Amino acid sequence: MQRIEHQQVKETVYYESLENGLDVYVLPKRGFHKTYATFTTRYGSIDRSFRLPSGEKITVPDGIAHFLEHKMFEQESGEDVFQQFAIQGAAANAFTSFTRTAYLFSCTDHVKENLNTLLNYVQSPYFTDENVEKEKGIISQEIRMYDDAPDWQSYYGLIRAFYQNHPVKIDIAGTVESIQTITKETLYQCYQTFYHPSNMLLFVVGAVEPEQVFEWICENQSKKEFQPQGEIERFFPAEPDAIAKKREVINLPVGVPKCMFGFKESASALGKSGDDALKQELVTNIILEALFGSGAELYRSLYDEGLIDEQFGYDYTLEKGFAFAMIGGDTPNPDRLIERIESAIPTFVEKGLSAEEFTRIKKKKMGGALRLLNSLEWIANQFTHYRFMGTDLFRIIPLLESITLEQVHQRIQEIFEMERMAVSIVTSKTSA
Amino acid sequence: MRSSANFETIAMENLRIHRLCSDKFKTTTIAVLIQQELSEEKVTKTALLPYVLQRGTTNYPTTLAFKRQLDQLYGANLFGNVFKRGERHIMQFALDFPNETYIPGTPPLLKEGIAFLGEVLFSPLLEQGRFKADYVEAEKNNLLQRIKSLQDDKIRYAAKRLTEEMCKNEPFALHAYGKEDDLDAIDASALYTYYQEVFHHCPIDLYLVGDVDLEEVTSQLQQQILSRFPSGERHAFNSQTIQPQGHDEQVVIDELDVKQGKLNIGCRTHTTINDDRYPALLLYNGILGGFAHSKLFMNVREKASLAYYCSSRLESHKGLLSIQSGIEIQHYDQALSIMKEQLSDMREGRITDQELEKTKATMINQFRERLDSAYGMIDLHHHSAVAKRKWSLPELLERIAHTSRQEIQEVAEKVTIDTIYFLRDQGGEKHATH
Repeated sequence: MQRIEHQQVKETVYYESLENGLDVYVLPKRGFHKTYATFTTRYGSIDRSFRLPSGEKITVPDGIAHFLEHKMFEQESGEDVFQQFAIQGAAANAFTSFTRTAYLFSCTDHVKENLNTLLNYVQSPYFTDENVEKEKGIISQEIRMYDDAPDWQSYYGLIRAFYQNHPVKIDIAGTVESIQTITKETLYQCYQTFYHPSNMLLFVVGAVEPEQVFEWICENQSKKEFQPQGEIERFFPAEPDAIAKKREVINLPVGVPKCMFGFKESASALGKSGDDALKQELVTNIILEALFGSGAELYRSLYDEGLIDEQFGYDYTLEKGFAFAMIGGDTPNPDRLIERIESAIPTFVEKGLSAEEFTRIKKKKMGGALRLLNSLEWIANQFTHYRFMGTDLFRIIPLLESITLEQVHQRIQEIFEMERMAVSIVTSKTSA
Repeated sequence: MRSSANFETIAMENLRIHRLCSDKFKTTTIAVLIQQELSEEKVTKTALLPYVLQRGTTNYPTTLAFKRQLDQLYGANLFGNVFKRGERHIMQFALDFPNETYIPGTPPLLKEGIAFLGEVLFSPLLEQGRFKADYVEAEKNNLLQRIKSLQDDKIRYAAKRLTEEMCKNEPFALHAYGKEDDLDAIDASALYTYYQEVFHHCPIDLYLVGDVDLEEVTSQLQQQILSRFPSGERHAFNSQTIQPQGHDEQVVIDELDVKQGKLNIGCRTHTTINDDRYPALLLYNGILGGFAHSKLFMNVREKASLAYYCSSRLESHKGLLSIQSGIEIQHYDQALSIMKEQLSDMREGRITDQELEKTKATMINQFRERLDSAYGMIDLHHHSAVAKRKWSLPELLERIAHTSRQEIQEVAEKVTIDTIYFLRDQGGEKHATH
């Protein structure tokens, strides 16, 4: 067991890599009642073409990683695993993102039993023709729900505008049509490729004793046999630097139009890993805050003009193979908003940040990073994300402190390439 | 060990301070919750006020200076918003910021944070003895936009429409954001007068959660915040005790350009947080639709594959229960009949030992988990501060653990369906309404 202490934030992480390849991290949180655990595989919606352990190369139906996530809850007994978690007083859930599938629970009692349940159900798939068929109705309704959700539609609209080929442009849940072709055989193929312990990470945070947790987990894992597995080979189509289209417009009945815009990163901004990648993310967020944060002059002038409201915000996504900055919110006048943005950005690129602005924003980011350490959910999910990126959540504060204004200015030149700016608008038919 | 498990309250009539020391959070949280009655005449002004107070103060007159001061306090979060709690309309002003011991050089964030919150509440930017007109007009526009955008999220929209139809002619039908039509008549001086009235007469609860010296911080809060509220009598609002009978299964259908139908059912339980049977009511809602093992989820989603979400929710101060689901439009009859079956199973007491035990375990867990968030603790406590019957968490958990099937069935027998609401596509086949 390795002990990694982070003095400034008074947190200590414990780590062990098990014989079967599973990485286990435990973060005890004194004073908390809750324990939160996530069991995550490096497998998400973008992993649609890959080589099976048998050596065969396949392409699977859109939405299958998410479908598989739903189906993991089935057990051979015929009872879904939510029932077991409920007996043990736990709240269980799961989610699928572009690059990860995570299974999780939180509880304030029976931590050992709940950890065993989590490991056992994720490590014993049980798919039948019948239970696969049953799920199609449920997921179709999940997809329909998102079809009617303007915020989700504007988000995806922008990703579709960015990407020509990369599968990030395909909805995580797939489509009502694509999921019809999913069978139990394909689900097992995906499972066998991506759910080997060496492709997964277990994170436990909260009211726990690390030694005890490692003991429980080792006991559970040592009873199971796994054949060694090599590197997983995934295939992605080549993605040009250019965006797919400048503007995507979606019609939905909304009281106020939604407008998202942003910048797609070029291939040259995708090569980093470890601290370098995390630093790129932090620097970019400082820039976005300087331009679009609530203390920015542009933000205030857009607000005063009634073009944005207090929900206007930004987000930066950096993963292996794709990255983009997204900005937006509700606006009565998307065209006017975009016009203002397009004229403001070149001025900002030229002017940059003052030393004073830079200091103010760094303070805000430091405080934000500290605040998030109150949330067990955020810690577990983000810790896993950063591990998969080859870096560490607890590097955020030290790296933030090390960032210089020169680094910020250099990055400003890279990201705001107007050619790679796209826009997504959701508006009612009548108000268009 | 400075940590304590419960809030300690110091009350000066209807001005109360509740404080709790905990070393588990990296931030300090201070929240001021002001109660107003939910009424036709006040609702829009109440909804607008917190937003105007976040625009500028004497020392930070521009919104830019105001927001930048929050950034200087290491990204302090200021929430100024409104929500409903039964037929009370709550204005919340909350500030949370990092505990300075985590910041190199330990800047005096606590002192400055309290001073800033005091400034937000008591030194709004004035011109000619009233709020700055520009700020009021801009926030009126924003509020209008917020009201209009309530239509956008269809899950929320269906919930809002159900409440409006079900509680027509009751204050509870009002949305926390107020009414579009009222906005024109509100100007800077009317709102300023209203602000003074609210600060003079409404009950106030101030919460403090953090790893701080409670005595010292309390005296700072007294000085910077509490003592600045005008002294004198504050209204105590009475909870409505007689619940209207409501409707007998009225059906309301709205049409919009949607792909998924939203089927919601509104029920009156005739039991509230003020009743001794409240724990049984909580369990009733839990068994029916509070969890992934509940009747609605199991029968509408898992067995019939009709929905992705199907759950129930309780409004404990009015005793209203609502069921919500998203379904294929042509499955209306089938889904409705399965939902009604679950309600009648509850009434007949068809609750298995397993359902009861699972619901008790998950519900007790749910309450205990809320103690791990400052806002969760404040919210939990404030429910009790507003209610006539005060439930301490240990008492509530104890009662949940010992509630019998019989007691839940007794609650179930009083539950009636008031309104069935369906949001569907446009121009589709007209649906039989009975």
